[in-house]
Amino acid sequence: MSTNVTLMPERAAAQRGDPPQGVQSSGPPVLRRVATYFSKPQNGLLLVLGIVLTISTLAPLVSILIDTVTVHPGSIDSDRTGLMSGYTLFNWTDLFDRSTSTKEKLFDQNFLDPTVNTVLMSVFSCVFAIIYGGFFAYLVTRTNLKFKKYLSTIFIFPYMMPQWTLAVVWQNLFKSAAVGGGSDGLLAAVFGIHTPQWFYEGLFPSSVVLGLHYSAFSYILIGAIFRNMDANLEEAAVILNTPKWKVFSRITLPMITPAIMSTVLLVFSSSMGSFPVPHYLKFSTLTTRYVEMSVNRQGQAGILAVEMMVFGIIMLVASQLTTSGRKSYTTVTGKSGQTQEVNLGAIGRWLIAAIFVVLTLFTSLYPMLAFALETFLPNPGDYSFLTGGGWGSLTTKWWLTSENLSESGMYGQLGVLYNTTIWKGFAGQFWVAAMAALAAGTIGTLVGYCVAKNRRSRWANFVNNMAFLPYLMPSLAVGVAFFIFGSSMGIFNTFLLLIIAGTIKYIPFASRASLNSMLQLSNEIEESAIIQDIPWWKRMLRIIVPIQKSSIISGYMLPFMTALREMTLFMLLCSQTKIITTELNYFDEMGLYAFSSAINLMLIVTILICNAVVNKLTGASLDKGIGGN
Amino acid sequence: MKKALRAAVACLLAGSMLGISACSDDKPEPGPTTSTQLTGVAAILDEAQGMTNEELFRRAIEESNGKTLYGIGNSSRGATAATAFIAALQAIDPSYNGTIEWTQPKNNSIFTILNADITSASHEFSMTLIQDGNQIQTKMINTGNLLNFIPKDWRDATGVDIDANGTPLALQTLSKVFLFNNLDVNANYTNVWDFVAEGSAPMFMGVNSEPVGKNFLYMLTEPTYAGYMKEAFDKLPAAQQAYFQKTVDEVAGDVEGLGLEGENAKYALAWIKLWVTQYNEKTDDGPICNDLVTTSAAGQSALIVYSKLRSVEESATASAANVTVAAYQNDYAGPGGYGYKHYLMIPKTSPLPWTAAAFISFMVTEYDGFAAWGKDIGGYSSNPNINQDHSEDGFVDGVDTYPAKNDKGYDWWTAADGGRLVLEDPEYASRVSANLSDWIDVAANG
Repeated sequence: MSTNVTLMPERAAAQRGDPPQGVQSSGPPVLRRVATYFSKPQNGLLLVLGIVLTISTLAPLVSILIDTVTVHPGSIDSDRTGLMSGYTLFNWTDLFDRSTSTKEKLFDQNFLDPTVNTVLMSVFSCVFAIIYGGFFAYLVTRTNLKFKKYLSTIFIFPYMMPQWTLAVVWQNLFKSAAVGGGSDGLLAAVFGIHTPQWFYEGLFPSSVVLGLHYSAFSYILIGAIFRNMDANLEEAAVILNTPKWKVFSRITLPMITPAIMSTVLLVFSSSMGSFPVPHYLKFSTLTTRYVEMSVNRQGQAGILAVEMMVFGIIMLVASQLTTSGRKSYTTVTGKSGQTQEVNLGAIGRWLIAAIFVVLTLFTSLYPMLAFALETFLPNPGDYSFLTGGGWGSLTTKWWLTSENLSESGMYGQLGVLYNTTIWKGFAGQFWVAAMAALAAGTIGTLVGYCVAKNRRSRWANFVNNMAFLPYLMPSLAVGVAFFIFGSSMGIFNTFLLLIIAGTIKYIPFASRASLNSMLQLSNEIEESAIIQDIPWWKRMLRIIVPIQKSSIISGYMLPFMTALREMTLFMLLCSQTKIITTELNYFDEMGLYAFSSAINLMLIVTILICNAVVNKLTGASLDKGIGGN
Repeated sequence: MKKALRAAVACLLAGSMLGISACSDDKPEPGPTTSTQLTGVAAILDEAQGMTNEELFRRAIEESNGKTLYGIGNSSRGATAATAFIAALQAIDPSYNGTIEWTQPKNNSIFTILNADITSASHEFSMTLIQDGNQIQTKMINTGNLLNFIPKDWRDATGVDIDANGTPLALQTLSKVFLFNNLDVNANYTNVWDFVAEGSAPMFMGVNSEPVGKNFLYMLTEPTYAGYMKEAFDKLPAAQQAYFQKTVDEVAGDVEGLGLEGENAKYALAWIKLWVTQYNEKTDDGPICNDLVTTSAAGQSALIVYSKLRSVEESATASAANVTVAAYQNDYAGPGGYGYKHYLMIPKTSPLPWTAAAFISFMVTEYDGFAAWGKDIGGYSSNPNINQDHSEDGFVDGVDTYPAKNDKGYDWWTAADGGRLVLEDPEYASRVSANLSDWIDVAANG
């Protein structure tokens, strides 16, 4: 977009960075420079945002560090040092003490094993997500695959669900009494198929479930690159008779490498911070160990949180490196007007589509159906209606029970429709998600705008990193940080703390969406308004926002939808009935799968409705990713 | 790959941690000071301890009319008891319109929430129903954050045991009992050692996710309960004794180092070691119960809250008749499970201490106050006068259909010639936990 205005003196001054006429000052040069700097609203805003983000991001992190050297009454540090308050290095020395065989074993189980397990789980999740999501992205964006629209929508369902619900579904499907004790899962009960224990507990299922959950992420990020990739390069290679594998490895792969790296970083840090998936699938990781150790080794558990933070910072550095690497590709990622779909063949396009229809049936539709069915079973996981009980054994009690005096196998709970705890929790989650999204979306958009306007400034770069850092921090570590921070501020177990934590954690969604789109926006657009003395806020509302509305709305939508099903970040910050995801986890842990399934359905339907409404109104959509266009 | 990663991490740490040493030379601070001049909530509770329910209820009405009392507890039934309490106050004063909001955090987070509330600038919670005597002692009583209140009407009631249930005040003792699925006729659980026999994997909540389970293991080393373990061991066939003897000999050397007393402690330790390496960890007693009652769980066993059996809906594949309470077998030897308590306490920062005291007194002295728990098997009030009889809960139309549901009651369960429940003692558990906790964690990982 360009403007046809004559270059006026004011514009020339604006291009030189001179202040507008009204702010010419006559003081000393330093003051003049300061006045000039602050005459641009984006500069003042950047300063304020930088200070706020630095404090809000770093203060909780410093709190964790302090907590690791603080004495906790009732914990081992207090017991062994005899202190009831104050500071000690006991937690650090004791956790890493390997002087005796007992200490060595404790070191292994409290630190080494969880660390190694976490790294392995995160790596395998990345590999799975990249291969599965990336391949799917290629098929949807670059081939003539059938059922694209359906598959594109259904593929991201696992990302909409709270991540551990897939873990629960996995266990209920594959567990076997003959192999691991307890009762049979659906496959064993109905078909007599007994899977080995490693298949439904431990590293393998944890990695697969997380990989499935984040493959949607991979699809969104890699798909965006594929969509915008210039097909001319590949076409030129084909014209030159280059073999297909060479085209892929020499042209396609290098172009999507930045997206793959972004996905790796995001999936790695997200998997690392996952608590519920390894918890349900019985795999000892840093997060599960953190929760276990916080009973009587609270300070040492804090060290695990510090370790997760260190991983987050490593991710940030890696992200910086890959982002700088991405610059070399931007010259070739201009949208081509000649995108050509790869022909999968008459049978291939149907066959591959059919395979994905079946796969997504298990990862998306089956869980939904299982959730719906679960709410009508007589006992949690009791599929006796399939094995001789008949349809008559199904019940509506989980929905319709209106009193808790007569025991109806409800563990003292009212049915979903009458259960005010569930509805209050849902309202609480909605409120937190809406407020966090509003704050994160607004701050993130402003960060993106200010950074784009000061793209060569080191301060802008720093603010951008501060805004992005929480995203690469594992959720549990951020949760721990805000738990300690919130406790010391007296706002523990309040919606305020949840909203603050959600805001900080999700600003990156908005800041990245905003920054990417603002960078595409020519300065000329605003300059023409500056020349006409249009105030900054009016320029934003009348020019910037309307042009970038799709990206900006994505910056609000993604935090909202993520917060709506977020549990790990919030689980340490409030009681379990305050919001619906912690309540959902409570019901899952209690084995009341009918309630957790009903809540899952409520969440998914809510997200789908929101997605559809926003898509209808603005064209932005979750499956099209950040930026939405 | 895993080994290489482990080695790399270990090497990095060994280098980085050299030189770190304890830096604190602080002197231990004294515990909470006792003052003859009580103030604030402590003073109110001191006065309240001399009042009858009637007097307490009137003070509660004065204090909280039009207000909301926030309670927090490990049992969701606190909300039901709260409804009954409000009704009781309204029976005295129909215009009373106070309310109670009940929060139920799971497991350990209650300590976090309470401590955060107590140390914050504004305080929300007026009372708590809390479990895990060990942590209550070390985190809440030793720090003075929770205060004890013994109602006069409870103290004066016949049959209450102030020493056992007064400090801190216990609402009830809850039992977790050994159960097994009886559909496998070859399954044999007539001795507590059968649950740790070779190949046995009883379902149980993780001892680090529900610490009362770990308290049970601590309590097993107490001389009385260690004695039960030895007695049960002596009743085993010679072949089984020989099998377990290896473990007993292996851990015998640890007894002194762990500060345990009594010659039978090694039997308790051996059982604990086998238990923590063999049990099948589950997230909660609910899913364990769901599993155990199914036909596909034939021969499986578990140690879970007894009252969970109440929620089994009879179906083609699930039935309470499929399970047997191990201790109800005539020839059963050893503890039949363990008992832990729900305690009622008041934060030192309670915004409505009179109402909190009245509510607590209501729950431990009045039938309606305990009815929320009393209507079920496996929960026994600290005031025997308000317990309900559940000895025939398994009868349907006069026929003993679900024998596992016939609760034999607190006296039987705690008797040395009955269920031999291992009862939680906060003082003992907190004394041995520092050493024993690590020992258990190491044992669990082989």
